[in-house]
Amino acid sequence: MKREAVKFAWVSALLLVGALQLAQAWDGAFVYFGLAAFSGFLALLLKRFVPAGLAALAVMVVAMAGGFLMAKGASPDRDPTWVLLDTVPRLLTAARPAPATPELLVPGLLLIIGISTGAVLSVTRRGTALFVPALGAATLYVAAALLTTGRADSYGLVALTMVVVLALGWLIIDRRGPVVPPAVLATALAALTLLTFVLPANGFEPRKLVTPPVTDIAISNPLPQLASWAAQGETELFRMRGPEVPVRLVTLSRYSGASWEAASTYGPLGVVDAPDLPLGGKVQDASVDLQITGLQGEWLPGVGKPQAVSLSNAMVDPDTGSLVVADGLRTGLSYTVRGVVETPADNDLAEAQVPVDVTKYTALPRLPFTLADYARQATQNARTPYEKAVALEQVVRLNRRPDAEAPVGSSYARLETFLFGAEGESGANAGTAEQFASAYAVLARAVGLPTRVVVGFQPVPEQNGERIVRAADATAWPEVYFSGWGWVAFDPVSGNGSGPSAASKREVLNRLASTTAKPTPTSLASVPPLVQPSAVAGDAVAAPAAPKSFPFWVFTPVVLLVALYVARTSRRLRLRAAGPVGAWNEVLDALQLAGLRPKPSRTVPDVGREWGEAGARLAVVVDEAAFAPRPANDEQSWRLARQVKKAVRRKASWWRKLVWPVDPRPLFRR
Amino acid sequence: MIDTGEVSAFRDLHTRLGDAVEGAVRGKRDVVDLVLVAMFAGGHVLLEDVPGTGKTTLARAVAGALGGVSRRVQFTPDLLPSDVTGTSVYDPQTGQIRFRPGPVFANIVLADEINRAAAKTQSALLEVMEERTVTIDGVGHSVPDPFLVVATQNPIDLDGTYRLPEAQLDRFMLRTSIGYPSVEDELDVLRPGSGAGRIADVRTVSSPREVSSFSARLSLLHVADPILQYISALGTGTRSDERLRLGTSTRGLRTLVRCAQVYAASKGRHFVVPQDVQDIADPVLAHRLVLTRESVLSGVTTSEVLADVLSRVPVPKPAAQ
Repeated sequence: MKREAVKFAWVSALLLVGALQLAQAWDGAFVYFGLAAFSGFLALLLKRFVPAGLAALAVMVVAMAGGFLMAKGASPDRDPTWVLLDTVPRLLTAARPAPATPELLVPGLLLIIGISTGAVLSVTRRGTALFVPALGAATLYVAAALLTTGRADSYGLVALTMVVVLALGWLIIDRRGPVVPPAVLATALAALTLLTFVLPANGFEPRKLVTPPVTDIAISNPLPQLASWAAQGETELFRMRGPEVPVRLVTLSRYSGASWEAASTYGPLGVVDAPDLPLGGKVQDASVDLQITGLQGEWLPGVGKPQAVSLSNAMVDPDTGSLVVADGLRTGLSYTVRGVVETPADNDLAEAQVPVDVTKYTALPRLPFTLADYARQATQNARTPYEKAVALEQVVRLNRRPDAEAPVGSSYARLETFLFGAEGESGANAGTAEQFASAYAVLARAVGLPTRVVVGFQPVPEQNGERIVRAADATAWPEVYFSGWGWVAFDPVSGNGSGPSAASKREVLNRLASTTAKPTPTSLASVPPLVQPSAVAGDAVAAPAAPKSFPFWVFTPVVLLVALYVARTSRRLRLRAAGPVGAWNEVLDALQLAGLRPKPSRTVPDVGREWGEAGARLAVVVDEAAFAPRPANDEQSWRLARQVKKAVRRKASWWRKLVWPVDPRPLFRR
Repeated sequence: MIDTGEVSAFRDLHTRLGDAVEGAVRGKRDVVDLVLVAMFAGGHVLLEDVPGTGKTTLARAVAGALGGVSRRVQFTPDLLPSDVTGTSVYDPQTGQIRFRPGPVFANIVLADEINRAAAKTQSALLEVMEERTVTIDGVGHSVPDPFLVVATQNPIDLDGTYRLPEAQLDRFMLRTSIGYPSVEDELDVLRPGSGAGRIADVRTVSSPREVSSFSARLSLLHVADPILQYISALGTGTRSDERLRLGTSTRGLRTLVRCAQVYAASKGRHFVVPQDVQDIADPVLAHRLVLTRESVLSGVTTSEVLADVLSRVPVPKPAAQ
């Protein structure tokens, strides 16, 4: 009894370490996971009444049902089965650490409950006593390493703890001599797996293997709308409470040469992967309450990089932070957005570098030479990326006027007209924020600065605790990414904006002015635009693609295995109830599973004798039950049969042992 | 139906007899048991063996342990039927013709080298074995009960012998051989002063009456239907084997059932199991099988064929009744 207690204490310790290690992948899930580690003892209680396999199955079924209900409660309007099936890809693509929402906790809890059940039940047996808990702990560790890309145990301390606990188990509990070879093999494999996760912290990211659960939404690009907003003037769009920050509507990072495009795949907020370019080093939280009063479309106004939105149906593009509501905005909708705003100091930017391998943000398909050359000349004296960015801001702004009536568009052709157009030409040196921001972005990209365009609203002064945002406040601005500091806004329209301070820009410009000659376009209309302007709003609302149906067939093997296991278990129960003859059939099953099926012409004692004392005794009982006139029902027979079965199993090869509980062959034996 | 108490009493008797006989015949318990089985089953034994392996000792020891009368007939080519069965003689004192019983009037008759006698004499003995009476001058004389003939036959040195025809071999319940003892047993036998072979030392542990009462009761021992089906399948197996000219007869199978009953009881069981049938099949059936000419020439023996049949026919699967 004391020995049993030590065993259970050992397996509990091991499971607890594994579970708490795994809990690091969630935000504040230690309690749940710590409790789940002990769920195996539930199966142990059940085992008093039903066979071990059935007890484990019962615990798992209850756990699955719990998960199902949790999924149902978390998103009542979705099919719970779908939600449950979705949890693993969702977890893999969630932010790190994953928020402890029911949906995301389910896969981790199920894993722990499964392992705990298996490990606790296995220590009640002798042969596999120490092997299964070791395997379970290794699985938990690997899962934790996967979910945190190895950050949960960067120094290998948890791995070391586990190895020590395992070694203690082998030293204290199992004194049968040398550890069985499969255990050694499995441990070595597990250790190897652990090493691959512990040592290199650079490489493997499981999230890349999983397609995040995203929705394709093709939404019209609001850039051309800037002109109509400008025309609407005083129309109220929405009201907000909170700090004075620019409100972002949509961030456009793809430029085709003809127009800017927004991202088209969106996932649930808060549970998607980190952005492709990391956040800057200095950030501030900003939280605003908004109430839509006139704004239309699917884009949801937000601040900074959104972290949380009080709307359950809001989705986000993880790279840009653009928020959408698939079924559109309506008047009266009010919500709260919490976002992170990057706030680098001017000094930080002065020497900051830009990443060189982000072609997504520097791509300019078939850039006309005039623009490239103009950008190069404009920045020829600038040393640092920041200087280039400031120089371009001035180059785009100088001698150009904002004009709400100017032609819309952001194709190369429109931008060439905007930048180099002759006086009197429609749209020459005049444009809305669309042309200013686009021209800046194209020129900045031409000199290698990762740039994108944001459509949003200027900060407005507070009145009676509210900021009323009107159509005239709508604008667009470019943002440049600086390594380590994040996206920094520039303002080619006014030169002010929310980005670096005017003083800092002036300092840069003064330094540049001493050497800079204003660039002049070399050849104007003589260079035909390489890209013909096309209808800007052409790619408007396309029908959303039907969500791909989940490949349920991948579960067929699992279902099959469970069905086989149930069939085999029920056969065993039936045989157990059938007295000595049933016990003998159980032995024959075992012999068949071990590949030692006796010839049909061999008698029961002949076969039984091979398996020692128990076999010989069982044979006597079985023969009596089968051939005596009034057989006595012998209660010992099942116990004897189990002893024989054990002896038989020991002789079986490892792969036969592997498929032992689900091998269907005994079901077909006549 | 025979119950467990009776079976254990029989087992005791069987063990006692076996132990007593083994005092004289060392290391041949299996053969001793078979001879006892034949005795309790009311059959006769044919021992096929070379001289000097203890055939005679075995027969006499069994008789000694039984406490019955044992006679020995040495068969020779000139032995007459009346030398075996007995004859009527004139008694000058009473002036009457009186029957003088032959050596068959004994509980255990040892018919030594039965194949050396002429067919007429052999059939006289075989008739007694079957009928258990001797009819002389129209008067029937019953042999005592139990009545066991242990005939021996020398499988070598066959010149001038009359081989027993198949039909007559069938009259023997069992055919077996003693064979040489193991090294230890042989040393035991060889050691001067050994009790082996000393018939006088065999204790009498039973009585003919006890044996015959058991003999009648044992035929009631339970044989389950699957066992009978198995025995029938074995018979069919021998009949359909291509190497055999003649498979086992129904009488042979019936004998097998009878022997299996006694054999099971000797193991302390009140029911027959397939293992009993397998254990007893060779001595009961092998001598009833007749090989084809080709098989004889290719050196196959009936025991080998029977072993093949046994390994081919599936035993009844244990099933709840």
